[in-house]
Amino acid sequence: MTGSSVSSRKVLSKIATNRLQKELTEWQINPPSGFTHRVTDNLQRWVIEVNGAQGTIYANEKYQLQVDFPENYPMEAPQVIFLHPAPLHPHIYSNGHICLDILYDSWSPAMTVGSICISILSMLSSSPAKERPEDNDRYVKNCRNGRSPKETRWWFHDDKV
Amino acid sequence: MENQDEIPVEPETESSTFISAYEDDDWSNYKDSDVMLQQSAIWEEDAAKSPFVGDKEPLSSLEAEYKSGSPILLEKIKVLSEHYAAIRRTRGDGNCFFRSFMFSYLEHLLESQDVAEVERIKRNVEKCRKTLQGLGYADFTFEDFFALFIEQLESVITGNEAPISHDELVVRSRDQSVSDYVVMFFRFVTSGEIRKRSEFFEPFIFGLANSTVEQFCKTSVEPMGEESDHVHITALSDALGVPIRVVYLDRSSCDSGGVSVNHHDFVPACDEVDKASTSSSGSETNPFIVLLYRPGHYDILYRK
Repeated sequence: MTGSSVSSRKVLSKIATNRLQKELTEWQINPPSGFTHRVTDNLQRWVIEVNGAQGTIYANEKYQLQVDFPENYPMEAPQVIFLHPAPLHPHIYSNGHICLDILYDSWSPAMTVGSICISILSMLSSSPAKERPEDNDRYVKNCRNGRSPKETRWWFHDDKV
Repeated sequence: MENQDEIPVEPETESSTFISAYEDDDWSNYKDSDVMLQQSAIWEEDAAKSPFVGDKEPLSSLEAEYKSGSPILLEKIKVLSEHYAAIRRTRGDGNCFFRSFMFSYLEHLLESQDVAEVERIKRNVEKCRKTLQGLGYADFTFEDFFALFIEQLESVITGNEAPISHDELVVRSRDQSVSDYVVMFFRFVTSGEIRKRSEFFEPFIFGLANSTVEQFCKTSVEPMGEESDHVHITALSDALGVPIRVVYLDRSSCDSGGVSVNHHDFVPACDEVDKASTSSSGSETNPFIVLLYRPGHYDILYRK
């Protein structure tokens, strides 16, 4: 297993720091609706509160996303997970890992923390049922050594939910 | 089915997937996407071995590659060698078209010191910036990539100071923190052009059911490592106003018996002014960027 896990992360590059400061400023002026980020002095880890959208099965529920930025952000995707307890959703594992293509293979520097948040809220909002992925137990067991979801070879088979 | 054991199966710990197709026993369950997953694994291995941009090699190195291969290809390489002297390979990591274009373009500027061309492309780059802004991209998402490209332009044509050396250009093209940023700059430009002229490009974007032009750009243009085809090349050439020749080396042969090597010139569709400045030999276009296409990969070719 390659070790790009949170514990071994390196400091942000200059370009990454600049970019994140600009994203933070943009967020403060115009945060995506339904999300709150309490600004800390840690630019490399954002903890964002997600409010389930009204009219969906997650209405009035609050969850927390943890976003960790790699040193060469935005060329490389941030690591995004739900903190415990993660919402019950067919694409969200009980350890907080999220099966969403833009967080892995389909990431592009054209995306932002804000656009990730919007995609995650849209994924939550279109869910018909509160349930875990079919392979939840097996997957979570395999992740027990604390590996990053970015090291998983994801298989995106369902774009309806 | 008897080959089943030879299918490179990922160890279980590597492949915790939503639905793990690798557990299926039958080739018929082996979908395109599985093959693509394997393809990307092959790329990762390949990537570790070769630099982003290789050294210039004589065309004979291409011949050596097919020594025991298809006679049609060997014939075609012979035909190629009448017009082309050398090849420069690029890494097969899905970014090879953009990377080849980058090196070929900057190398041309460095050698020609064509100040007018730099001024021309800078005007086009400004147009691309406005295109992205018009499409709703936040400036901070693309400005670093634009700045890095302009920086490369200004380092190959410096005005009064001496430009960077050719060796330095090679070094930069192999340096991920420069090379990938320039590739990403081209991806932004390409995406902006396709989306700006979505009606024009839409008929060429097929094979992706229930997909829109915007979706195509998000999934097949903007992420690093996504391969390029005619759509990308047309869009980049149009947006920057730079003609590109692609020479095709494949096993196809014509019925007449003679072996010929096909090429296609991508000539910018935009304004007349650009065309006048880029066609050097009368009405015939003669792009200074020549890429060799072999199914799935682009390298740089050098004329004799």
